[in-house]
Formats: sequence, structure tokens, C-alpha cells
Amino acid sequence: MTPRALISLTFAGLMVAVVAVAGWLAWSIGADGAPRQAVHETALLYGSGAALAVIALLGGAWAVLDRRLAAPLRMLARDIETAARVNAEREIALAGSDHLAELTTAVAAMMHELADARRRAADTVAEASRRAESEKGQLETILRDLHEGVIVCNLNHQVLLYNRRALELLHMTGEMGLGRSLFTVMNRQPFLHAVEILTDRLGGGQPAEPGDDRMADATQPFMATTADGRTTFEGRMRLIPDADSKATGYVITFEDNSRRLAALGRRDHLLSEATEGLRQRVSSLAAAAETLEAFPAMAVGERQAFEKVVFDETRHLSQRLDALAAEYRELVTGSWPTADVYSANLLNGVVRRLRDDKGIPVVMTGLPCWLHGDSYTLVELLDHLIEKVREETGAGEFDIEAVPGDNRVYLDIIWKGPVIPAGELAAWLGATLTGAWGALTARDVLEHHKTELWSQAHREGYARLRLPLPAAAEAVPESGRRRLPSRPEFYDFDLLRYQKYSGALGRRSLKSLSFVIFDTETTGLKPSEGDEIVALAGVRVINGRILTGESFSHLVHPGRNIPEKSRRIHGITDEMVAGKPSIREVLPAFKRFVGNSVLVAHNAAFDLKFLKLKEAAAGVVLDNPVLDTLLLSAYLHDHQTMHTLEAIAKRFGVDIEARHTALGDSLVTAAVFLRMIEVLEARGIATLDQALAAANSMAEIRVRQAEF
Amino acid sequence: MTKNVLVVEDEPNIILSLEFLVKEAGYKVRVARDGEEALRAVAEDRPDVILLDVMIPKRDGYDVCQTIRANPAWKDLRIIMLTARGRAAEREKGLALGADDYITKPFSTRELTQRLKQILG
Repeated sequence: MTPRALISLTFAGLMVAVVAVAGWLAWSIGADGAPRQAVHETALLYGSGAALAVIALLGGAWAVLDRRLAAPLRMLARDIETAARVNAEREIALAGSDHLAELTTAVAAMMHELADARRRAADTVAEASRRAESEKGQLETILRDLHEGVIVCNLNHQVLLYNRRALELLHMTGEMGLGRSLFTVMNRQPFLHAVEILTDRLGGGQPAEPGDDRMADATQPFMATTADGRTTFEGRMRLIPDADSKATGYVITFEDNSRRLAALGRRDHLLSEATEGLRQRVSSLAAAAETLEAFPAMAVGERQAFEKVVFDETRHLSQRLDALAAEYRELVTGSWPTADVYSANLLNGVVRRLRDDKGIPVVMTGLPCWLHGDSYTLVELLDHLIEKVREETGAGEFDIEAVPGDNRVYLDIIWKGPVIPAGELAAWLGATLTGAWGALTARDVLEHHKTELWSQAHREGYARLRLPLPAAAEAVPESGRRRLPSRPEFYDFDLLRYQKYSGALGRRSLKSLSFVIFDTETTGLKPSEGDEIVALAGVRVINGRILTGESFSHLVHPGRNIPEKSRRIHGITDEMVAGKPSIREVLPAFKRFVGNSVLVAHNAAFDLKFLKLKEAAAGVVLDNPVLDTLLLSAYLHDHQTMHTLEAIAKRFGVDIEARHTALGDSLVTAAVFLRMIEVLEARGIATLDQALAAANSMAEIRVRQAEF
Repeated sequence: MTKNVLVVEDEPNIILSLEFLVKEAGYKVRVARDGEEALRAVAEDRPDVILLDVMIPKRDGYDVCQTIRANPAWKDLRIIMLTARGRAAEREKGLALGADDYITKPFSTRELTQRLKQILG
């Protein structure tokens, strides 16, 4: 009901009430009796008059209220409505209503503000559209002018954007069609592989390198063919991150390299002819010439034979040289696409493929390191080799490991069974690799990496295939972090000092035990003064092998801020632990990962103290036996004063790749510990009990030293 | 007793020099022209040293080397591999499969006889 109708109704109601009261009075007086008739008539007359007067007054009041208040309010309401919906700049005027002047002014001011806000919003939108339009124009120009084809896809490999050049390269007339699968035009494997490698590198499988915002920097080279296999492309893939640094899609840039590859092949051939191809001739020539010179008294018949060799070979060499020089002038140069590859990413790819596609169990072992090569063709090659070894030897399971050497990294495939004869191996290399683009053979992959492959005995009863590859050319970002001092040796050894383990486990040999080598990163050095764990990691060691693929690695919310001082050491920031579980949740998961294994850590007393303080809150008890590589190192090399992880890794010849990440340190400690076991055995320390006793004796000495 | 050298090589021009040089150095010399012939020659009359070229027909030098090393009766046999390719990985492969030494072509004839003398003690 509008205010105006309400006022009208109220007044009408009042008038009806006055008439009703007057009528009732008149009736009740009349009913009292005839004797007072005169009085009655007078009262009736005055009463009616009074009632009429009241009604008139009410009518007047209504008229004033309606004209001066209700009608202008209604007009105002309509004006505001119109202004709000259509035009905020329309003047708000209330004809003949000074009484509402204040309201009118306030409404007018509000309307003005509204009009202003609308103008600003419209301006912003116009500006943003203009900028977007101009950026789009620029992007289109850039994409159009690019020599490379560009395609943007989401993680379902649906095409979201592409440029003209991409169509040309793919020999497409008309449009590619947005939302269509990339794999209708290109072959699938190289892209799945590149996405896998990039996501893995950005923390999917290896949370060992926290902190760096590397998604923007990480690209992966790939080679692909059109779906019909006629044209090969070479390109790079980059993931597209969202606000939370999670990949939402990828962009690929690529170019037609069929001609370049053909040229590359010719160049390689030519180079090989010009260098290795001439050795044979030069060799014959040199031998004949030197022999002639060294034996001047040789018989005439012999001498003539040598002279003929010198003559023939010299002529041959000259002819070859002319031909090579002519070919060289026609050549366009190029190079095979290779990149620095983290062995864990590469080998993970092999492990996953063989497990998922062929059901062959492969365990990645050892310390990961960086090498240089084309990861896609290497995965294809290793996949092929493992399958052939299984066919040949009947071996059911395999270890795969990257072993760093002098300027090179060996990829070793290890199985229980016989060595593969060189002749047999040579025959395998001619086979075409099934998943690879084009007709690529295993021999081609070796040639591109300028390497060889052989099989030899491994440890007792085991054999391996060894593939040497170049080590990564320079220090990679992950290991490039500044070297910082190790934490001070921790003198609260009570935690280790009193552990006694003389059960069946204690009598077992160190080599037969299952270990978890672990490490923590913390907010500081004083757990009893409020320092907390920010990362906890561990890796399993069984039968003398580091099971690189079986690792535990978690960032932990410390429930407090991370001081700059410790952030500089481990690179873990407050933002990185935001939303991560607390140690109360992580510790039980770690306990499940550890099971009954023996725990090993470097300076274990330090890490253990942090964990022990959280046992009650987490509702678990870590009562596993604990070995400390620091104390064992002190036992083995007590003349050495340095027992930092860096120092003993160097002493045991272990390469350090990623220090000061919990997983990185666990891996280094594991490698050190494995070598330590050998030396301990040589010193008569073969069982767990003996190792615990050796470490305890060192702990006693250090506690006593610390007391002085 | 005169030491016995087996030259395994398929290139006649280099055989000429190798045969002559080995003979002049005072050793008994035989020549095999492919991998199978080489293994037959070893089985017939075990040589003290084999000069073994990698790129030979039928069974390559690596194969011959590994096969010889698989037989404990021939463990005293010294193997010097010869190759016309100079890659480090090839050298390493040869040594991994049991070669005692490795010479890249072209080589100096003086160096070859020196190495022969060294290895025969």
C-alpha cells in the first residue's frame, strides 16, 4: 500500500468512526424515554453539528497532508526510480514542497554521486577494453609474424589458441577448430612426455627443491610429427600457471625441422666421413711410410709393395678431400635438440611407462644427478632395452640408476641373471623404437648422444647394461643455491646414548636391514625454545640400494613464522607452508612410512629431539633404533675434526647435488651411509648392535667433551 | 720362447704394416680377417697378444674381446684394441669388456711396437 493510500484510508476511517459515535450517542439518548424529549432534540442537533465540524476538520487535514506530503513523496519516489534506472543526472525537483527541501537536497546529492560512480565505472571499462583490444592486436601481430607455430592447449590437450604459422606448418587449410584435441593433428607421445617431465620438475614428484618460482622459466624441448607422420617438428613446451602456481595448460612453439633434420643428417655423415672416415686411409699410409723410413734395407719386392700403398692411399685421400669440400659448401648447419635433464625425472618416466604399459617392475635407485641429452628418445631407448633384456634373460625385475662419473653420467639397468653378449646387443640396436617419431632406431639414439652401450657383470649374480651420457654442462639452478654453513653439532646426545637394542634385530647384519634415512628442516636450532619443524623427508634403503622412488617428503606448517635466518638456509617461506599440515598430522604418516625400519640421520640427535617433542601431540612413538652418520664418522675417522655432511660426503666420494632440502640431504646421507657400511664391516662392525655400540661410545665422549 | 701375436684386421694395407712390424720386433705373427676366424685362431694356438680391430666382419671386436674374456683358460691373453673411431665412450666400452689397452688409428708405428713390448713384459 502506498503512503498516500494509507493516509487517505486513515482519514476515511476516522470520519466513519465520528459518524458512528455520533449515531450511537443519538440512538442511546432516544432510547432512554419520552419525558426528556426536549433535551433529546437539543442534544441531537448540537451533536450532529459537532460531528459535521469534526468531519470537516479531518477532511481539511487530509487534503493538506495529501497535497503537501503524500503527493510530493510519491513524485519523489518516481523521480528516484527513473533516475536510478535510466538517468542519474536528471534534476530532482519537488514542485511546491518546501517542507521536503532537506530530503530533496540529500537525494539530489546521492544521485550526483551515483552518476559520478557510473561515469567512472564506464570509463574504467572502456579503458580496460581499449587496452585489452590493443594487447590483443599486439599479440596477434606478434603471433602472426612469428616464424614458429604457436599452439596453446589446456591440460586435456584441447586447442585454445593458435597462429597462422601453426596452420601452415601442419599443412592445414581452413581452421584448426578451437576445443579440438591437439592429437588429431600431432602425434601424442612427445606431448604427454613433455607435460609429465615439466610437472615432475615443478614439484610433482620431487618436492626437494622448494621455493623457486620456476614454472615461468621451465621449458622442455620436444620433437613431434604430424599425426600422419609425414612432417617432423622441433619445439619447446612451457606450462601456463594460474594464481596458485598450478598448471592450467601449456603453450608449445614449434618449427618444421624436416629439412633441417635432413641437413643435420647429411652434416653428421659428412663430419664422420671427414674425420673418422679418413682414419683408416691415413693409418695405412702412415704405417707404410714410417716402415719404409725405419727399414731402408728391406728387400726390393717388399719395398715396392709399401711404395704402392703410399701412392694408392695418397691419391685416394686427395679425391675424398675434394668430394668432402664440395659437399660441405652446400650444407646448412643445425643441431640436435638436447637439454639438461634431472635423472630422477627421466628414470621416473621409464619406471612409470614400464609399470603402466607393460607391467614390468622397475625400481629407481641411487642418487639422482643432472645429465645432458634428449629425454624423450632416452626414455624410448631405455624402455626398449629393458624389454629386450627381459625377453633375452627372463629377468622379472630391474633396478635403474644414474651413476655420476668423470664428466659423464652412467645410466645403469641392473638385473639378476647373465650378461648380454656384445654381438647380441649390437643386433638389438638396429630395431626401430616403437613410440618414437619417425623411423628412429636405438642405434640412432646412441649416435645422437655420441655414445656407446655395453653389458657387463654387476655384483655377484647380477648383470648390468651401461649407457654413458654427458653430465649437465653447468651447475643447474637447484644446486646453485649458495652454500651455507651446516648447523652446529648438537650436543644433546642423551636421546641416542641410552638406546639399547639387543633383540633379534640387533644381531642382524647391517647389510640385511631396511633403513629409512631422514632429515628435517626447522625454524631454528632450539626446539625447547619454540623452534619447529618446517619440512620432514626420508628415503628408503634396502639391500644396499637407495630406493629413490620410495621417498617421503612433506612441508610442515610450523604454527609460527619462519625467521629470515633459517629461511636463507632452507629456502622455505611462510607462504610455502601456508595450508600445509602440522607436524601432528605429518608425524603419524612418517611413522607409517618408517614402519619397523632402522632410522638413520646425520646429527640424528638434532632431528630426533624435534620429533620426540611432538610425539605426545601426534599420538605416536618413534621407538625405532637410530643410527647417526656423524657419530659413525667420528668412530671411523676420529682423527678428522670435520664431520659435517659436506665434509664426510667428500671423504666418501659422494656428489652433492641439492643440499639443505630435507629430501636432498636425506639422499646424500643415504649415499654416505651405504659407503660407511662397507668401511664399518672392514673394521669388524657388522651388526646393528655393534654399530649402535660404536656410535654410543662416540656420543659418550662428545657429551663429556661438551661438559668441559 | 718366441711370443705369439695375432693380428685381427680386415684392411689389407694396414695388415701389411702390422705384420711386418710385429715380425721385425721379433715376434711370431698370424693374421685373422674377421671375428670368427680370430676366435678359431685363438682356439687353435693361444697367442700371447691380440691386436684386435673393432670394425671387422662377422663378429665385431667387442664381441671377440668379450668372448675371449668369458673363457678362464685365456685369462693371460693380452688384448690391444685398435679402432678408427676416437670416441671416449668406445674406449671405455673396450676396457669395460676386458681389453688391456686401446690404440686409436692413425697411430705411430713406433708407439705400437713400444706398447707391444711393454705388454709382453
